[in-house]
Amino acid sequence: MHSEDVIGLPRSEERASEDTYRSRWTWESVGWGTHCVDCYPGNCPYRVYSSGDRVVREEPSGTFDTVEEGVPDANPMGCNKGACWSQQLYDGDRLLHPMRRVGERGSGEWERISWDEALTQIADSMLDAIAEGGPQSIVREGTPEVAAVFPTDRFFNVFGGRTLDLHPSFNDFSIGLHETFGKWNPASSADDWFHSELILIWHMNPAFTRIPFYHYMLEARYHGAEIVSISPDLNASHMHADYHVPISSGDDAALGLAMVQVILEEGIADTTFIREQTDLPCLVRTDTRRYLRASDVRGGGLARDDQLFHWDPEQGLVEADRGNLLLHGREVALSGSYEVTLANGQTVTVEPVLAMLERQLQEHYTPELSQAITGVHPDMVRMIARKAATSRTNIMLGWNSCKYYHGDLIERAMCLLLAVTGNWGKQGTGIRSWMIGMADGMFTLMVKTLPGVEGAEQLLAAQEAGTAMMRAADPSITTEEIAVRELSRTLARVQLGEEGTMGMRGSPPAFWWYWQGNYRERWNNPEWGDTSLPRTFDEYFEEAIANGWWTGLDEPRPEDPPHVLIECGGNMLRRTRGGATQLGPNLWDRLDLIVSIDFRLNFTGLNSDIVLPAAQHYEKVNFHIPTSHTMRLTLSDRNVTPAGEAKPEWDIYRLLLETFARRAAERGVTEYGNGTGATFTPADMADRYTLNGYLTGEDQVADEIIRDSVYVGTLPEGTDLARMREVGFERFIGWGTSPYALAQASPIEMEKTHSPFRNHVELGDPFPTYSRRAQFFIDHPWWTEAGEDLPVHKPNPRSGGNQPLRMTSGHNRWSIHSMNQANPVILQTHRGEPLVEISVEDARARGVADDDLIRVWNDITSFRARAKVSPGVRPGQIVSYNGWDGHQYADWKGANEIEAGMVKWIAFAGGYGHINYSMSEWQPIPVDRGVPCDFELDPTPTNDGR
Amino acid sequence: MFTYSLQGLELTADVSGPLEVEENETTARSAVYQVLGAFFAASPADAADGERWSKELAEAATLLPFAFEVGSVAVPNGTSSDDHAAEHDRLLGGSALLGGAARDDRDAEIASVRREYEYFGLASSDEAPRPADHLATELDFLQYLCFREAATPSPRLVASFRRAQRDFLVNHVLDWVPGFVAATLAAGAGQPLAWALERLDAFLAADHDYVVARLGA
Repeated sequence: MHSEDVIGLPRSEERASEDTYRSRWTWESVGWGTHCVDCYPGNCPYRVYSSGDRVVREEPSGTFDTVEEGVPDANPMGCNKGACWSQQLYDGDRLLHPMRRVGERGSGEWERISWDEALTQIADSMLDAIAEGGPQSIVREGTPEVAAVFPTDRFFNVFGGRTLDLHPSFNDFSIGLHETFGKWNPASSADDWFHSELILIWHMNPAFTRIPFYHYMLEARYHGAEIVSISPDLNASHMHADYHVPISSGDDAALGLAMVQVILEEGIADTTFIREQTDLPCLVRTDTRRYLRASDVRGGGLARDDQLFHWDPEQGLVEADRGNLLLHGREVALSGSYEVTLANGQTVTVEPVLAMLERQLQEHYTPELSQAITGVHPDMVRMIARKAATSRTNIMLGWNSCKYYHGDLIERAMCLLLAVTGNWGKQGTGIRSWMIGMADGMFTLMVKTLPGVEGAEQLLAAQEAGTAMMRAADPSITTEEIAVRELSRTLARVQLGEEGTMGMRGSPPAFWWYWQGNYRERWNNPEWGDTSLPRTFDEYFEEAIANGWWTGLDEPRPEDPPHVLIECGGNMLRRTRGGATQLGPNLWDRLDLIVSIDFRLNFTGLNSDIVLPAAQHYEKVNFHIPTSHTMRLTLSDRNVTPAGEAKPEWDIYRLLLETFARRAAERGVTEYGNGTGATFTPADMADRYTLNGYLTGEDQVADEIIRDSVYVGTLPEGTDLARMREVGFERFIGWGTSPYALAQASPIEMEKTHSPFRNHVELGDPFPTYSRRAQFFIDHPWWTEAGEDLPVHKPNPRSGGNQPLRMTSGHNRWSIHSMNQANPVILQTHRGEPLVEISVEDARARGVADDDLIRVWNDITSFRARAKVSPGVRPGQIVSYNGWDGHQYADWKGANEIEAGMVKWIAFAGGYGHINYSMSEWQPIPVDRGVPCDFELDPTPTNDGR
Repeated sequence: MFTYSLQGLELTADVSGPLEVEENETTARSAVYQVLGAFFAASPADAADGERWSKELAEAATLLPFAFEVGSVAVPNGTSSDDHAAEHDRLLGGSALLGGAARDDRDAEIASVRREYEYFGLASSDEAPRPADHLATELDFLQYLCFREAATPSPRLVASFRRAQRDFLVNHVLDWVPGFVAATLAAGAGQPLAWALERLDAFLAADHDYVVARLGA
């Protein structure tokens, strides 16, 4: 039967209709793609279909293999964003040509220029900046995208620019995990969640943010697990949870501590685990409230200050082994008090940390007392605590808690709950943050000075020599601790200049914000910080500087202002807490040149002087962030030619260095220094960047990454780019040498899911903390002064004003940060413009109806957005999901404009074991959750943009 | 002492370690590759001196760690240099010695072997230009990998060079040379070419087995 018999259409018309779809779904070639700009953990392997040098569609490949028998595989791996990513390649905000502003910054007036014009102007500005303030006056913040980050690093290394430690800029540093474990990045494989018996979704909304992996939680539930969603609002992840714990925003430490109180009081704690894994048995002097140290017991001299003690019922005072955690059945004391005679003859009383902790919990954090803080009923607290104590418990932590001022306290309380219940180092347990590692070739490529295998070997040999030297100084130190702390800390301060490729100067951005962004003013506002501290912000800051905790890192100082900003793949004005309100007058207006390298014209690009079009996914060879969440390296290939005149970042920097050398020669600049004795010669920079032409293009670069990774032992033998192009991904077989990989502290078993910290539990490997244990008592003087030496609850400071509401945030369902916010397909799946979710009660009290334009304000400034009145939002809370770009709001003022960008004052501490800066780790990070605010119906409705 | 001698390839980077090493089992493998490579790069006139080649190969193979019959070669009396040249052209001319020609996509094969050379610090020599997929170039590369295995003090590099030998043999040389040898012999190759082809075939097989066994150990 023909179709015209059914629908009555002439056959020719029907064919025309069919042909439309046939044409749309016809392709000439198929390749691999994935979406690498910080869609974490991502790594979804997609098949990309192209026709006529244009991507026509993509679909999840569903080709990941099953890892462990009985555990579901990861397929199909994809989400709404990935499924229509290609639409952005040809959308209206796509950058196709180099452009230069012709009006004021941010005026939106541009002229199209040639690559040569653009690069020449940038090169001249760089030379001007170098003459004025050295190469370190050329600054970048950056992006985690693999294809952008290593060329940018290599470029900045070669010419000696300043690179800001990226981690605080996006602030996913799980600071409480760092304070507890000496590392912040345990990251189990997503399939490991299936082994959990109790999943606490806590400061996370995986139904929005972990779409490809969320199924593991549901499958675990079908497998018998229970899911508890702990959040102020009823978010989408609540729907499939067994319990919802409605907690007031930011008061989670009190909840966690109350659960610990229940577990200890009811005698259901895992005491063997506590004794071996934590510092809770370590002895503390009651006279000083500081650890009993070897220097106390044996005097100064050769005694280690960080050698702590246990009390053994049979032997009395014994050293807490710094080399291995296992006690082999010895039951060192967890309670009681004991007399110890010190080297100076004084007798002092000591008690285990746990004894102090129990008293504190009993006094302040019983379920009944915590209810006054959190609003959570004591019965609920007790029920979950008992479940945690008897189950393989997994805390699904997002990067939400760390964005609270006292996020470290929240996370320390979470870790404590896991500690007393024995819940890490076993499948289905633990707490999660993020990690990048294993594709070691990405790291070798940033710095290698020799091509090929010889260059990789040179770096490995140097690292081994450094490791051997450190181990000789302290035989108890582990490779992990050396990698996590010592080597990365050393590297952070190394500037080798022309002799190597580590020529760039790295800076924790806290100092950039303080000196150059004038955050000093905000951070010193006594009402915006922790009002329980006895001193001002600057008193802490100045003490930190005076103590040398940031020597060589506390830059750029006021006398060393930046001149050129190169933002590649990042979106500084959207991302920075405080946004253009703070950066505009204090930093932006003082910069001589702002360059934005991106595939689209984002908010930072709109406020730049020159924008350079970069190739996007499917147009360049790239990899997703290699992470233990997926344990696979995933390829995104060049399926089509970059649109317009766009180029891969690798090529852009090579061309810029060639232009830089030409202009330097024409201006007579043959050499320059960076103020630290290092010299740079423009003429050979392009050769150094490409290793004398060895790295000719992105294929060679990608292949080098893979081969170096094979050489280090993280990818199977025989893997190369050609192999990756056949299969699309490859499973990692080893951890390699990078700090975050080694921090997993577990074996890689090819037929088992990955659960971090097994080496700590199974082998007794020490943690890289001051005490070499999961550390809950931090007797750094600032922690003592702040009353935070043990985990406590503290209320969120009022950074921004004394308004009655608190703005929270999180990732939305429609975009990875701002990447997809203008995707034409995605825009049709939601309201399509910036909105904030508000409670029914708060809306009613202010006369606001759903979809009204409202003005959200505090003492800093205001922004306008649509109101989404939601019964899921708690009264007193407003939710502004992350990702809207500044220019999508009225007046180009986004939600980040009312964020103070406050940092936790005592985070400037150092000089104490793991409380010390190292790259991407310990340092102050700005907060943006729990922002005080209020809203009203927009008083200028005619200006609503509709 | 053994010194490697590249002809179709040249170093592109500063390579750490010595340029010559005490002769041993591994340098013997390098030396055999060197002699075989030189034979297939030689002009027809040079290649005709069977006595010379068999002597050089025997010397090179002295310390080999596995059994390898060098044998002798007897060039029939009365074979003129013109005969040799004609025979050489007939059997080895055109694309016979090019591994890429045996595949569907020669350009891809050339890119692939070039990338192998590059990663190990080599590139096609400007002074002795020869296609990257030429048999002599590929044998040159194996010569170099064996030498580097013998010369490097790094156990990690030793393993890497061994893996590279195995992978290059499997993915490239052994993928086409046995077929080439069989076809050329079937086409009536005379001496000393037939002798060289048989020695090449035997050595590649034996060396592959040896490398695989070493890696397995």
